[in-house]
This record gives sequence, C-alpha cells and structure tokens, in this order.
Amino acid sequence: MNRVILTILILAVGFAAQAQYPGYSPVADLAKFKTEFSVITQKTTSVKSDFTQEKNLAMLSEKIISKGNFWFKKDSRVRMEYNQPFKYLMILNKDKVYVKDGQKENKVSTRSNKLFQQINKIMIDCMQGTMLSNTDFNTRVFENRNSALVELSPVTKGLKELFRSINVIVDKKDFSVSSIEMKELSGDNTIIRFTNKEPNANIPDTLFIIN
Amino acid sequence: MQGCSPVHKQMQSETKDVREIQKFRPVFTVALYKATVDVMDNHLSGLLLIKKMPDSSTRMVFSNEMGLSFFDFEFTANGNFKVYSIIKKMNKRSVIKTLQHDFELVLMNKLDNAAASVRSNDRLLYFIFPQDKGYNYYITDAGATELIRMERASHKKVIVEGIMKKYSNGIPDTIGISHKTFEFNIGLKRIERNAAE
Repeated sequence: MNRVILTILILAVGFAAQAQYPGYSPVADLAKFKTEFSVITQKTTSVKSDFTQEKNLAMLSEKIISKGNFWFKKDSRVRMEYNQPFKYLMILNKDKVYVKDGQKENKVSTRSNKLFQQINKIMIDCMQGTMLSNTDFNTRVFENRNSALVELSPVTKGLKELFRSINVIVDKKDFSVSSIEMKELSGDNTIIRFTNKEPNANIPDTLFIIN
Repeated sequence: MQGCSPVHKQMQSETKDVREIQKFRPVFTVALYKATVDVMDNHLSGLLLIKKMPDSSTRMVFSNEMGLSFFDFEFTANGNFKVYSIIKKMNKRSVIKTLQHDFELVLMNKLDNAAASVRSNDRLLYFIFPQDKGYNYYITDAGATELIRMERASHKKVIVEGIMKKYSNGIPDTIGISHKTFEFNIGLKRIERNAAE
C-alpha cells in the first residue's frame, strides 16, 4: 500500500514539474549534472555573444525588445552593450559596476550595495557555471533532450522582493547559457536570449576596464 | 487677480477659450521613452512605457534597461490614481505623491475647465488650473500655438517646471520635469521601437 502511495506521489511530483515547465522533467541524476556542468564550464574562460532581451508586460499586453552584444571573461567580468533601440553600456568587473547611459557615466561599488552585488553575482554565476552553488537561491533542475532548465528561487529578503524566480536555460551540448528569464512578482518577466555564441573567444581585457 | 495666480504677478485678463490648451494634451496610445532621473546627486536611467488602456486609463511602467520594473502606475480618465507595483526602495508616500503630481502635470488629466482661467503677461498666455493644493500652469505663446512650459505651483512659489516638445501624432518626443525646491529632474526622450522589433 505504502509503495502504491509512494508511486502516486512520485508520478504527481513528476507531472507537476512537467505542468510547470512543459517539455521538461526533473533531472534524473542531479549530482551527475552538477559534475558535468562544473567540468565543462570550468573549461570555458570566455564567451562572446549577441543577445535579444524581451520584457513582457503581462497586464499591458506589451513587449519591450532590445538587442546588443555580450562579452564574458573569467574571472567575474561581463560587458553588456545595448544597441537597439537605445544605447546603454554596462560593465561588471569583480565588485565594480560601470554604466554609461548616453553621455552620463556612473560607477558603483557593489560592496556598498548588497542587492546590486547579488544581481551582479547572478549574471556572473550564470556564465561561470557557479549558479548551482549560489546560496542566495534554492535551486531545482529540469531537463529535456537538448536543454536543462535551472530554476533559481530567491531565499534572501532583497531578492525575494524583486524576483519570483530566475530560470536559466542551458544548452546540454556545451553547457552554455541559452537564455536567462527573470520572473517578477507582478507576473511580468524579462528574457535575455543569447545567440551567435562564441565560447573561449579571444576577448581583450580592455573591454572590461573601469577607470 | 493675485488670488488666481499668486506666483505670477501683474497679469492681464484674457478672453481666450481655456479649452484651447487641450490641443497640447498628449495622446499616449502607446509610447516608449528613454528615461533619465537625477535626484540628490544620484543618476539613474531606464525605460518608461506609457499606454492608454481600453478602459481609457493610462498606465506608466518604469523599468531599468535590464528589464527590472521600478513602478507601475495607473492614471484613470476621471483623475484617480493607483499604484500597481513599486520597488521597496521607492515605496514612500512622499516619492509616490511627487511622481503622481509630476505625471498628472504631463498627462493633463486633472484639468477642470470650469474652474480655470486664462491670463497674459509679457506676450505669454497662462492657462491656470486650480488643483487640490496650488495650481497647474500651462504657458503658451501669444497665439497659443506653442506650449512654452508647464508649471506646478503652490500658493507661494513654483515647485515644478516642465516641458513637452516636438509632438508627433499627439505624442511629445521630449518631456522634461524639473523640481525647483530640491534636486529632482526627469528627462524623457521617445524611442522608436520598430528598429528592434
């Protein structure tokens, strides 16, 4: 009898996960996934990519789409350059953030702003493959034949006030990040999709300099 | 005369129809703006989406460039205001009230023509609309062909100055709001969205 109940529970959990993320089921061997993910991402020292960002405003039935270029280089350096339909540059370099908005430049030390530091860490973690060990989140991993879906649910107060979850889609072929979806409490979400990815591209350090 | 316009002195009465100012009322079907905000030595930027909803209310959603929403406001056609969401750091009564009044000056959604008057001074027309506290002024050239500036004033002084320029199909390309009593400036520049979509 207990075995029957257990089977029903396992099936119910499985169906619930599939209902939550159609086409995905909970990853069969999480330890194996973590090991593979860690081994391959450790070999990735840089990523060059294009990106398309889509913000969906559910209640307004509107989308805001922007495009740009993305660079990541170990350790902890990211450059995001928005080109369309506006110009905006953001450089993350370890614990520093540089923002150029039109002619205005802004430098922020993430040490002085914990929330900024946590958001900064999400982006770096996604690229460095260390998101599975980020203690700011509870992590669940789902998969299908081609992709893994890493669901990051915030546990810290500041992040919980901003995000319902952050879902990262990883291409199982090379364990590179295909997209990052930030789900807000309001039901709105923002998806950043990475295309034309070049892992281990030769990226000059000068792209990440914050004077 | 001073009772109607205490912050602008020596103005003449005008016979101009007060409803003429309505031609400068923006018609936000849907518009996206690049927004910059300078407040007390802090600079932040983002995107402001303004959309007229089927129920005739106007929604304003301000987010940063990476998509994180700062606030979502609703201004109804009959002058009511609702906060759908706002991040904790901005969730202060004084901040919300300031933004509400600033955007009402732009939306021109709380203008009671019956209580309004038109006056002139130095070849400018002043369309004066009493508010709950103070006045909203819409200042045009002598022919009321160009909106020179907008003002929100208390009974004693001008609190906010604003501009709306370069209208296209009823939507201004440039909007500026500048507070006179403390450093708080909002700049909006319309973005053509088709380029990316």
